[in-house]
Amino acid sequence: MSGLLILFLVLGAIGLFLAMPGGRGRTARAGLILLAAAGATLIAAATRLLAPQPGLGVFVGGALVALFAAVRVITHKRPVYSALYFVLLIVAVAALLVQMQAEFLAAALVIIYAGAILVTYIFVIMLAQQARPAPYDLNARDPLLGCLAGFVLLWVMAGQLFGGSAAAQPPAGGASSAGTVEAVGTSLLTTYIVAVQLIGLLLLAALVGAIAIARRRPSEPAREGED
Amino acid sequence: MLLAYVLLGALLFVLGLVGFITRRNLIIMFLCTEMMFQGIIINLVAFGRYPLTGTPSFDGQVFALFLIAVAAAEAALALALVVLLHRHRATLDAGAWTLLKDE
Repeated sequence: MSGLLILFLVLGAIGLFLAMPGGRGRTARAGLILLAAAGATLIAAATRLLAPQPGLGVFVGGALVALFAAVRVITHKRPVYSALYFVLLIVAVAALLVQMQAEFLAAALVIIYAGAILVTYIFVIMLAQQARPAPYDLNARDPLLGCLAGFVLLWVMAGQLFGGSAAAQPPAGGASSAGTVEAVGTSLLTTYIVAVQLIGLLLLAALVGAIAIARRRPSEPAREGED
Repeated sequence: MLLAYVLLGALLFVLGLVGFITRRNLIIMFLCTEMMFQGIIINLVAFGRYPLTGTPSFDGQVFALFLIAVAAAEAALALALVVLLHRHRATLDAGAWTLLKDE
């Protein structure tokens, strides 16, 4: 593993720990600065490790936006802003998917996640919103342990990625044909037709289950056989 | 290019994991699981686009579509549970629900 990546991991872990909400308003800014430094290290590592090729700029930009949004999701004190930063993360991931010639998946991601799932999240946040940030939003639970666990996990994964035999660059795949939507749709409706129907069943079950759970009144005990 | 995408997927997954461990708000915790899903989606599509052997295929994208559907089902059920819990006690603090905790 290269020194730049190790520097990136260490800077990122320390910055994330400092940026966590925890009643230390002073250190959050220092944590964000450290995270910005980690992002600069990541750019340096990317330009060092990756051969210059078309699309590299889009990848680096999308990755940085995605990582920034992800960090803000888990460090912001207000849940509404966390959800909105998650929308930014979705858009960045969709850009990366377009870069990987997965246009249909990118469109589906934006429509389903940013359009449907996140709206539901924001509805629930608004429903449970309090006027001022709640104490449980201002204090993270064991930020040191959490950051340490994530750092160790990432260390192991990056070590495997860049140290093992997989570091050998795979052959660059030939450009796939145009018409990804057609290919994906054909694959979906021939090879994976059973899985598609199972997913439909799963969504129906989740719909019924969500309605059954959410309409139960808290005062009355759950009666068996009804509801 | 595959390594870069896989590393990005790992980063998003780990950020989601750290958020899930450290945040107390139930809704933020579920947002963090969605963030882990994003890392996995990037992984799946990257492995389909830049395969280690053979030619690029669309199976990764198909798997990612299934993953999105499962994530939608999970979000619906999780939010229904959150609404139910919030009706019981007007808080979203995960620490308020320790009834099932191992002593």
